[in-house]
Amino acid sequence: MDFSLTEEQREWQMKARKFAAEVLRPVSLERDRIQDPIKTWDWDIIRQGSKLGFRTMAVPKQYGGEGTDFVTQSLVMTELARGDSAMSKAFSQNWKWSHLISAVCSDEQKERFLKAFLADDTFVMGKGITEPNAGSDNRLPPADAPKAGFRLRAERKGDEWILNGEKCFIANANVGKLFFIDARTNPDVGIKQGTTMFLVPRDTPGFRSGKVFNKNGWRFYQNAEMIFENARVPHANVVGEVNGGVKKGSDDTTGGDLFGDLELASNALGVCDAACESALRHARTQTQGGKPLFEQQQIQLKLNRMHMLTEALRSFVMRIAWEHDKKMHTTNPGLAMHFSSDAIQEVTQLNMDIHGGAGYTMDAGADKLVRDGIIWTHLANDAVQRMRTARRLAK
Amino acid sequence: MYNLHLTAEQLEIRDTVRDFVAQEIKPIALKSARLEAGDRRFPPEIFDKASQMGLRTLSLSEALGGAGVDNLTSCIVTEELAAGDVDFATVLAETSTLGHKLFDQAMTPEQRARFLPQFLADDRYHLAWADHEPDNEADSALGIHYHRPERTAVAVKTTATRQSNGDWVVNGIKNFVANAPLAKLIAVQVRTDPNASGANGVSTLLVTPGTPGLTIKEHDTASAWYHGTRGELVFKDCRIAAADLLGAEGASPIGTDVVGRGIPQFEALNLGIGRAAYEAAIDYAKLRIQGGRPIIEHQAIGTLLAEIAIKLDVARNTVWQAAWASDHPDVYADRSLSGLPLETVARVFTSEIVHQVALDAAECFGAMGVMRDMPMHKYVRDALICLHSGNGNSDAKLRIAEGVAGYRR
Repeated sequence: MDFSLTEEQREWQMKARKFAAEVLRPVSLERDRIQDPIKTWDWDIIRQGSKLGFRTMAVPKQYGGEGTDFVTQSLVMTELARGDSAMSKAFSQNWKWSHLISAVCSDEQKERFLKAFLADDTFVMGKGITEPNAGSDNRLPPADAPKAGFRLRAERKGDEWILNGEKCFIANANVGKLFFIDARTNPDVGIKQGTTMFLVPRDTPGFRSGKVFNKNGWRFYQNAEMIFENARVPHANVVGEVNGGVKKGSDDTTGGDLFGDLELASNALGVCDAACESALRHARTQTQGGKPLFEQQQIQLKLNRMHMLTEALRSFVMRIAWEHDKKMHTTNPGLAMHFSSDAIQEVTQLNMDIHGGAGYTMDAGADKLVRDGIIWTHLANDAVQRMRTARRLAK
Repeated sequence: MYNLHLTAEQLEIRDTVRDFVAQEIKPIALKSARLEAGDRRFPPEIFDKASQMGLRTLSLSEALGGAGVDNLTSCIVTEELAAGDVDFATVLAETSTLGHKLFDQAMTPEQRARFLPQFLADDRYHLAWADHEPDNEADSALGIHYHRPERTAVAVKTTATRQSNGDWVVNGIKNFVANAPLAKLIAVQVRTDPNASGANGVSTLLVTPGTPGLTIKEHDTASAWYHGTRGELVFKDCRIAAADLLGAEGASPIGTDVVGRGIPQFEALNLGIGRAAYEAAIDYAKLRIQGGRPIIEHQAIGTLLAEIAIKLDVARNTVWQAAWASDHPDVYADRSLSGLPLETVARVFTSEIVHQVALDAAECFGAMGVMRDMPMHKYVRDALICLHSGNGNSDAKLRIAEGVAGYRR
């Protein structure tokens, strides 16, 4: 057993730490405060990060990317999230789909899309699954309601597929250049059997993005509606096989789902690090009754708990990153993601608690970390996600 | 004797207020545009309606023209209003509570004759009590002084100097004063004896907005970490007539509740936030279909809602117990209730569980639980504000601990 990082891993970690401290952290609160959810986004941050490799680092070397391993990716997500959780996610969201392209797209598709992705600092991606009436049903298709799940329809017409319907809460929907879209190609069976995944570029005729959602946390990160009105997608953009989409995506041991679990757990760790740092600084510098807060037992106990949870999370996150690199297929990523959600809630809460007692004001940074943390409840740790992991255990 | 029956009058008031909330408050409170903009103000016409129902003068005695309800009834009303809109409820609770304290308990007949007719006649006549000063928290926290004798009392730095004709000249700053931006009468804590310390040498003066030398400014609502509306009062050589001294010089009649045994209005407001989240979650869980049936029919959501129901019910018991004890202080003396500071106990318990309730209720909504144009994120924020305002729960626990340890200062 060896917990040491390689020189390359350490270099990426330090590069990300520097970028987070010098570029992300200084503008984090200012971006968070912008009321209009569209205006929180800043292309300049994406461009700067892209030039350092943070947008493309998950693309394998053979396709012209950085080819970093999962441990490195995890370290970088954590460091970036320490600067700003939503900005870290804005970069790593692209890794998720880099993994998917590498794993399931044809050589011709890789050639067409990976090259463009690598060459353009403002090329970001997303995937559309959720619809207004299909959230949990997509993740945990009910056995007794075979028609539950997304409704977006794709019908073949010659060499093209015609897409009709809408998606909501889709990451990067309003800023992305390429999307993976799950659509029903056989409406008479359940989504597991009747779905095809399509590559949909931004300029697809009949596709547009709609309302940008105004989230209370992760303000920088964009989530929007996608609207398909007779959108025309070439047959060449079918990912894998027709009616094989969902299976292809979620059975893959590296991309899609499982990377998503590592992603949320690693990002949460960065937020916990930021909270610990903030709490410790406050406890050392703020005084009460003429003495630093740190001298109080109540404060010491809270700081202890924050660090205990954070370090436990770090161990868990590093383990699943390592397991990914060893191509081990376990339920640990899901469990780590759920744990990260519990940890981020409690750690950001305790940080707010340590900043509390200030009467009718609250530290804006502590408030932001709590709001970012709550996002996990709605993404990583609701009952559906936890049951889904449990079902993997029972398989 | 143990009796949990509400009187016919209490039940009727509760039903009336619940109806008012459903008809008048919620349609405004739940508007997407208002939620998204973080706008916490309410149209004055709705305050007028509440006033005409008697909610502004709820605690004022019947003899003086109010409804004269007890503290328990007042807390029941506050919970109902807060389940509609906590900011609206906060403003009314403050004026109603102060109405009884100022007019029934503290004013002389002469002062009453001057101020009461306007208070009764004007639906927009609100009251404020200006106690808080900049940097108060550092002084008022127990913290490092837990179970140690060397504790400094809260310093009142605003001074009132007696003039030769008996008038007072006030200088100083009060901030985060509840209702200050709306109030037409404000009771101000001032130091009238510069040589005394702590609560000694502190008097209360009545002042009306517009008095020369007094400037009132509403605090920035965007970053407000409180409910209702609060403002800053700056006194610069502000002259207040001798006749406006409330109570005796050097012995303020306001703020004299036994620590931890006051009226649990704050706790009732907090409970109302939990109720709002709970009711929204139930409605949505019945409506939202996933997994082939309404989500309330799934064990995961059913259990979550049951846990929320349990928590709110137990919290309500702590609030009502504290309210009833504040109506009947002899229950402490005759050993019917424990000697704990029951309002503080209710505060800690209610704020902790309502925070959890709001988070759990929001979870039922999936992604909509964090959207700014939807109400759930606001309930979470409102619960956080209660959890982390004033000196906070950590300090409250130390106060309870001193009581448990039998420590007397």
